[in-house]
Amino acid sequence: MKGQIKDLIIPLFITLLILVVLEIISTALLPAFGIQKYIIPFNILIVLYLGFKLETPYLAILILIVQYFHSFFSIEGWELGTIAGIFICIVISYLRDLIHFSSAAITITVTQVFQVVWFLIVSSLFYLKTGNMGILVEKMWRFIPESIAISLLAPFFFAIFDRIWGVNSEGMLGGDV
Amino acid sequence: MRIGEGEGQKTKIILNVLVCAVALYGVSTKDFTQQRTSMFENLMIDFFAPIQKSVTYIQGSFTSVFDDYIANVNASKDNEKLKMRISDLGSQIFSFREMELENKRLKKLLDFGEELPYKKVLAQVVARDASSDFRVLRINKGLVDGLKLQATVVTGEGLVGFIYRLTDHFADVLTILDPNNRVDALVKRVRAHGIVEGDSDRQCLMKYVKRTDPIILNDRILTSGLGNLYPKGILIGKVSRIERESYGMTQDITILPSVNFGKLEEVIVLVAESNKKKDLEWDALDSNTEGKVK
Repeated sequence: MKGQIKDLIIPLFITLLILVVLEIISTALLPAFGIQKYIIPFNILIVLYLGFKLETPYLAILILIVQYFHSFFSIEGWELGTIAGIFICIVISYLRDLIHFSSAAITITVTQVFQVVWFLIVSSLFYLKTGNMGILVEKMWRFIPESIAISLLAPFFFAIFDRIWGVNSEGMLGGDV
Repeated sequence: MRIGEGEGQKTKIILNVLVCAVALYGVSTKDFTQQRTSMFENLMIDFFAPIQKSVTYIQGSFTSVFDDYIANVNASKDNEKLKMRISDLGSQIFSFREMELENKRLKKLLDFGEELPYKKVLAQVVARDASSDFRVLRINKGLVDGLKLQATVVTGEGLVGFIYRLTDHFADVLTILDPNNRVDALVKRVRAHGIVEGDSDRQCLMKYVKRTDPIILNDRILTSGLGNLYPKGILIGKVSRIERESYGMTQDITILPSVNFGKLEEVIVLVAESNKKKDLEWDALDSNTEGKVK
């Protein structure tokens, strides 16, 4: 297990830069081309990557920082995604031995499965906050294409993040491979 | 700093619990009517928003080059049509001016009440929200341009929403399509009251309208002025669907907004001039509420 904070700072900085660029594309460029109903949630992709591939005690803080930067581009705020992200990381920590990203198809499938978990957690919290079931039904219809887009992009972005975070294809950051 | 295996697990659990607790507190206290930004958030949003604006501008420039030069095939025909349209609009403007004068006279006659002075600030839409769960627009005007939290945002077609989050140079507008935005409204023809809530990307719902109110399709819906958020008389949209059961107290009305949110580029922000007496009253109410909570 890698426990040094200084090892995390530079990859985190680069990851945040990538997040900012992707958020600008999804909030300014894609709507200008008429894609307004569906916004690709790149923050989910990054949080899932951190949960899948990083084994560090500071994971909760990393998720919080990613979500905080996401909140500059959305009134959604950082809170809901942070709770969902931490919960998913706890689930992943129990399933770690079963999850291997040996092929693009597996990466896509695993990402899709955990996005469903993310959707369930965020929707539950949203329902507790607003008490409106109608919003959730509509949210689900948007979630399906958005999550598929994220899952399809996952192998490509995971390969980039693997290089940034120094994770090799078989193991986790700091894991004994 | 390097930590051991057991200690690492302990740190992980503590951080997980701590961050989750803070996030849960954040969720429970989140207010969907307005959000005050911290100095850091203000700085970051003002740093990133110009990049969003530039991206939108570059895309717009490409589109205009394409539209103006490449796709400009039937220009002379369009020119003729536009000339005719201008003459039509000219006569419409004349009749609208007459109506405006008539309206002013009637308002005075009926002693309609004091007219709130609004400062109009023209703003450009530079981005949308990064989450499709929220129908929020980012505009290129902020505190330095005189904008205030909860200021009303409109276009020539009708109501857009209100200012939800504000930084020095940019603002986020919670549109009427967002389910968190509720507008006290009335049906122009029959003066029936209800609450308009966002429903989807294309429509809003009008709730709590009495079942006995004789609403018909294409009835115009206006802001009622109640709730101290939106001025009275701004067009929201028209009735596109009515569901009236044989039981119950209310009817469900679907509204098609008059503003085309998909093609929204510029908006007008109505900023109420500061009313010291009113501000003092609100401050007194706020401090009273806080006192009760404590």
